[in-house]
Amino acid sequence: MSGILGSALAGDMLLVGAVILPLFALPPLLLAPPRLAERLSVLVLLASLLVALALAARVGADGAALATFIGGWRPPLGVGLRADGFSAFMLVMTAVVLFATGLFAMTTPGAAPGRVARGRMPPAFWMLLASVFSALNLVFLAEDLFTLYVALELLTFAAVPLVCLDGKLAQVEAALRYLLFALFGSVLYLLGAVIIYGLYGTLDIILVARAASASPGFVLALAAMSVGMMAKAALFPLHLWLPPAHSGAPPAASAMLSAVVIKAPIFLLVRFWLDLAPTGLAVAVAPVLAGLGAAAILVGSLVALAQPRLKLLIAYSTAAQIGYLFLMFPLAVVASPWSALAWTGGALHLASHAFSKAAMFMAAGLMAEALGHDRISGLSGVGRAVPVALVAFGLGGLSLMGLPPAGGFIAKVMLLSAAIHLDAWWIAAVILAGGLLAGGYVLKVVGLALQRPAEPLAVRPVARWREWVALALALVAVGFGFVPLEPSSFLFIGRPASWAGLVP
Amino acid sequence: MGNMSTSDLLLLAAVALPLLLALAAIKPWVRRRADVLLLLAPLPGLVAALAVPVGQSLLVVPPPFRLTFALDMPGAVLLGGAALLWLAAGLYAVFYLKDDPARGTFCVWWLLTLAGSFAVFLVADVASFYLAYALVSFSAYGLATHDDTPEARRAGRVYLALTVLGEALLIAAFVMLASSVTDANPLIRDAVAGLSASPWKEAILLLLLVGFTMKMGLFPLHVWMPLAHAVAPVPGSAVLSGIVVKAGVIGLIRFLPWGEGWPDWGAGLLAVGLFTAFYGVAIGLTQRHPKRALAYSTVSQMGVVAAVLGMGLKAGDGAVPALAAFYAVNHMLLKGAMFLTVGVVASTPRGRLLPVLAVAALLGLSLAGLPFTGGALAKYAVKAPMGDGLAAFLLALSAGGTTLLMARYVLLLLDVAQEGGEALAPRGLLVPWAALSLVAVLLPFGLFTPVTGLSLGTLFSLDTLIKGLWPVALGLAVGALIYQKPPRFSEVPPGDILAAAAPLGALYARVRDSAVLLDMVLRRWSTAALAVVMLAFVLAYVMAGAAFSPPITP
Amino acid sequence: MSTPTVMGLLGAALSAIGIYGLMVGRDALARLLAFNLLGGGVFLVFGVVARRGAGAGFGADPVPQALVITGIVVAFSATALAVALLRRLAELREKARAPRPAPEGEA
Repeated sequence: MSGILGSALAGDMLLVGAVILPLFALPPLLLAPPRLAERLSVLVLLASLLVALALAARVGADGAALATFIGGWRPPLGVGLRADGFSAFMLVMTAVVLFATGLFAMTTPGAAPGRVARGRMPPAFWMLLASVFSALNLVFLAEDLFTLYVALELLTFAAVPLVCLDGKLAQVEAALRYLLFALFGSVLYLLGAVIIYGLYGTLDIILVARAASASPGFVLALAAMSVGMMAKAALFPLHLWLPPAHSGAPPAASAMLSAVVIKAPIFLLVRFWLDLAPTGLAVAVAPVLAGLGAAAILVGSLVALAQPRLKLLIAYSTAAQIGYLFLMFPLAVVASPWSALAWTGGALHLASHAFSKAAMFMAAGLMAEALGHDRISGLSGVGRAVPVALVAFGLGGLSLMGLPPAGGFIAKVMLLSAAIHLDAWWIAAVILAGGLLAGGYVLKVVGLALQRPAEPLAVRPVARWREWVALALALVAVGFGFVPLEPSSFLFIGRPASWAGLVP
Repeated sequence: MGNMSTSDLLLLAAVALPLLLALAAIKPWVRRRADVLLLLAPLPGLVAALAVPVGQSLLVVPPPFRLTFALDMPGAVLLGGAALLWLAAGLYAVFYLKDDPARGTFCVWWLLTLAGSFAVFLVADVASFYLAYALVSFSAYGLATHDDTPEARRAGRVYLALTVLGEALLIAAFVMLASSVTDANPLIRDAVAGLSASPWKEAILLLLLVGFTMKMGLFPLHVWMPLAHAVAPVPGSAVLSGIVVKAGVIGLIRFLPWGEGWPDWGAGLLAVGLFTAFYGVAIGLTQRHPKRALAYSTVSQMGVVAAVLGMGLKAGDGAVPALAAFYAVNHMLLKGAMFLTVGVVASTPRGRLLPVLAVAALLGLSLAGLPFTGGALAKYAVKAPMGDGLAAFLLALSAGGTTLLMARYVLLLLDVAQEGGEALAPRGLLVPWAALSLVAVLLPFGLFTPVTGLSLGTLFSLDTLIKGLWPVALGLAVGALIYQKPPRFSEVPPGDILAAAAPLGALYARVRDSAVLLDMVLRRWSTAALAVVMLAFVLAYVMAGAAFSPPITP
Repeated sequence: MSTPTVMGLLGAALSAIGIYGLMVGRDALARLLAFNLLGGGVFLVFGVVARRGAGAGFGADPVPQALVITGIVVAFSATALAVALLRRLAELREKARAPRPAPEGEA
């Protein structure tokens, strides 16, 4: 169906539609009664998912990137939108996760009373969801460093209130901390963009990449922009805002934040280092990025093991899993046939982490809802109360641990193969150690949940339907385990020419 | 998939049926029919082992599934034995757990473990093997910890920790192994063929040996086995000790480079195997519960299998894997029957114990290789590759140890028997137990010629009889001496050297706590803001170093 | 010294003060102000870039001016959001302090 849609619609409509369409959820949320507005929002999310699929189908069918200049104005005055294989991949991933989040957040009977009136997510949640969707799509499509700045800020403004939806003191504190650190990051990014404009007179990524050379100004700009994105991605040691923000938000919001919002700055880092920077600079910086990634994996996982609360554990797991995406850089930037595999593995890890983490946050939310708390020590026997959610958590965890048949396994095998062939033994060791530690914190929870509780649990009923949403996401993460063990040609569609020799 | 032969369908069904049944068990009404589930699940595997021609068919399941099936001699032998044990233990479990409210969950774990154990014997490509191995390993956790006692939980934690570690070692080995071939997911035999040319062959062999021998319970990685096998419900113990450990055996059989000599590695495996064979007996003798004695006997027996495999690796003898599989299947059925005996004894009054004990003794003597039992054939089969040297003598001596340990096991059975009462054990337990015991003692006679190519007649020479008899006689004599004048000893706590790992636990706790501390410092705003600025400088410095120093990176 | 140079240096100084303020700021309000200083510095640098006409090569490049205005709007929204959060935080802390004195937490 998406194929028909793809050929029927013009490319520029798809590109603009991907950014604009989610915002169509806003008017009903302001005007219609809550229940109807909620349903209309989910419909809009579904429509946006279809657009993303159509766009991906179009990119895949053309075998070339889809691009448009808004209003026909070319850079430097105009703004370009462009979807290459990687962008389309991210668009679809985001759309699926956010659509599932919408399904999960829909009003259901039996939700925890008192937190939100009548167990319903407030209209603000839906507005923020729609805004996050639109901003993320803009990040994935924008070709222009300043548009990207605006998109990133929109994303931050939509994500921060999600953290403090319940309005508790700790959540507001977490939100404020998140906001200020993200602002620090984005202003550094802007500084870099400004310097680049000063040097090359354009902000278009492709034009800059063509003109760029390793001049002192460009080096400074790249450093500032990268650090800004690292702060927004919560890469170790800049992760101070992530654990309180991701663990304090309501489950649907946590799922969204941890699964996709965090991926936007990472997507941009990939673009900077693989598309924008001259290879020499990227090769020099990659080990630093990978070193930080390794530290994130080891420290983040160890700290996750020590957490007393389930949502904090998952949040630290996110801080750790981000590290894998940075481990990819030294493997992906070198000119070697194996770099294509590493790059595919990294992208696959990104996606399977998104789905599994969303599933795990939802499952954790349901466990907390059933028990009335999320202390890990009190989880004994929760598997009986919410069996489907536990399966979702376990399958998501399977992917984090890198065990077959989950997507995390294939990603791990690809990264490991590349690391071994490129003689990056320390990266291979970190990947393996990270899998061990992930096994530690996932199995700790699953083992407890499988126990028989000492006394009968006082369980509040949760909506089965939401358990199934979590399970569906986990199954998507597992489904990634069935992709072929080879570099994906789709991801290379429309990549810069410097990649030409390395594409299968 | 239209052109699949019956053989292909059987191989597929052997793995798919238990998985589908496990999936169907989501429905409570399916779960309640434990009897049907547990009996139905192993049947395709059994038929496949009997009917599918060995070494001929290679079934490639079309993408996106990465699955290749093949049936070779070791695989067929182990598959058939495993199917029989799953069947008998399943029948037994239906009755054993009939009053257990959580038997539905047990059934699901059972089916998953069953599917994994069949798959491990059948799959022929590297990725599927890893999947099957993970499936059987992790599902076994559910069987071991079913009773959910504090001991079971502890055993489960130790088991999981070592399993996860083993998986990490194996994936590293597999990735390195597969990288010598162009296909990303090669057949195991193709990948192994490239091993000797691999630049990392030493590392690969080390990882493979550690990973697989951990599952077999070789010293010093056996610590989980006495814990896990002793806490599971009786039928669970039977399949854990009988079948699940064989995943390690098939792993070595499939992944070690047979047919080319690796003297050092072979000698190493031989030495560890022999040591384990005696170590398991020594610790097992101190145990006070028959299930723990049996678990240590499994440790010892897997030592024997490892020693045989080590000898084959040393000599580059391609015939050894099938012989080792033959030995392993003998152990599989005997050990399964002996575990079931524990449950039978526990529901038999003391006064009517004699026939049960007699069977238990027969099973034990068969394991030790008493002439004219099935076990004697297994011992004989592995004698040829062991040669005549010290290793062969030690292996024979270990059979004496096994006799001793089995005598101890029979005596320990007395302690678990019912006090008073008149009725025999219920038929639901007796029938599968008796049938399995019979099969365990007799099946090797049927398998001997097809596997080894020797005729049964060779077994009845005087020389062979003496060679089979003296270890058993020695063991019984020593046993009688000890029984006359029992030495005082205290029970070695199960998991014996696990206590030595305590410093590791403390180290882990310290590392974790320092990570938490580091994280607390880094999460201060001032530290993080400083880190932002420092990182920007570091990145700029690194880039400047690359761009502006004399040798500019191209 | 030409005007762009002076302004450029001023922008750099403002940015430096902003970064310093972000590092040492004790509470969220101080950090917010430091962020605004830093933002101001960056916009000033952008203005200098425009004055030099980097992009188009003529006297004054109009693109940066448009972007600076957009940027200022964005920074303004960010500040507004942060202030709203700060106010809510103050209210909540007030409420939390009412029954029992809570330790001054760091935002």
